[in-house]
Amino acid sequence: MVIGLNHYLILAAALFLTGAAGVLARRNTLIMLMGVEVMLCSVNIVFAAYSRALGDMSGHVFVIMNFAIAAAEAAIGLAILVAIYRIKRSVNADELNSLKE
Amino acid sequence: MEAVLFYLFGALLLGGAIAAMTSRSAVAAAVWLIFAFVNAAGIYALLSAPVLAILQILIYAGAIMVLFLFVVMMLQGPTLKSELKSIGDRKWWLPVGAILVALLNWMRGVNLEGFINDAPAGFGEIKGVAELLLNKYMITFEMISLVLLVAIIGAVALASNKKGMPW
Repeated sequence: MVIGLNHYLILAAALFLTGAAGVLARRNTLIMLMGVEVMLCSVNIVFAAYSRALGDMSGHVFVIMNFAIAAAEAAIGLAILVAIYRIKRSVNADELNSLKE
Repeated sequence: MEAVLFYLFGALLLGGAIAAMTSRSAVAAAVWLIFAFVNAAGIYALLSAPVLAILQILIYAGAIMVLFLFVVMMLQGPTLKSELKSIGDRKWWLPVGAILVALLNWMRGVNLEGFINDAPAGFGEIKGVAELLLNKYMITFEMISLVLLVAIIGAVALASNKKGMPW
């Protein structure tokens, strides 16, 4: 059996759904951020698969850009979490409701 | 051979991600995610992109997850007890279930054939990536450095103030 573009697309879609379900279901903001990382990783796989299917290496450049975006996102997100923890003493998303009241 | 490796890496990648998203403690989730990202590097290697495979291990499994583990170490050891009770009665599964049904429906009609053409000579090697990065996509490359600079400044400004937010 030969592996083609659609195999990679289905794998990436399943991975994206896993990350999205994690972000939606979990209340621990650390694990929600990890779900965002999983979603970014699935997009990278789509970039690399299309790059391979079209024989054009431009997709690799955008995967590298996405690595940098993911690193920046993790750094900023975790810094915000540290700042929130200093105020609230919690990383539970259910307790971060001060704008609601 | 390629099919065996694809299904092996793909199953381990998905399994690692699912285990990370469902694990109770954040430390276990981070370690599962490192495992998943190493297998994603295997997927990149199958897509004849060795540069991306190496960068995936260095940046994702190395740098980003170590950052996560440091913050987990600083913030929180035990599991959130309220989370385990409240997972069941949330509406999160409605959008995910809808997308899953749509995906399965789409998979029925999809043709699972191989790639039409072989990868051209030198595809995915570091020389070609570097030439694209420094010629055609030079502006993009410079933008990456700008994004990282802003991220450094933002992270320091947000996290260094002991009283909380910097304003």
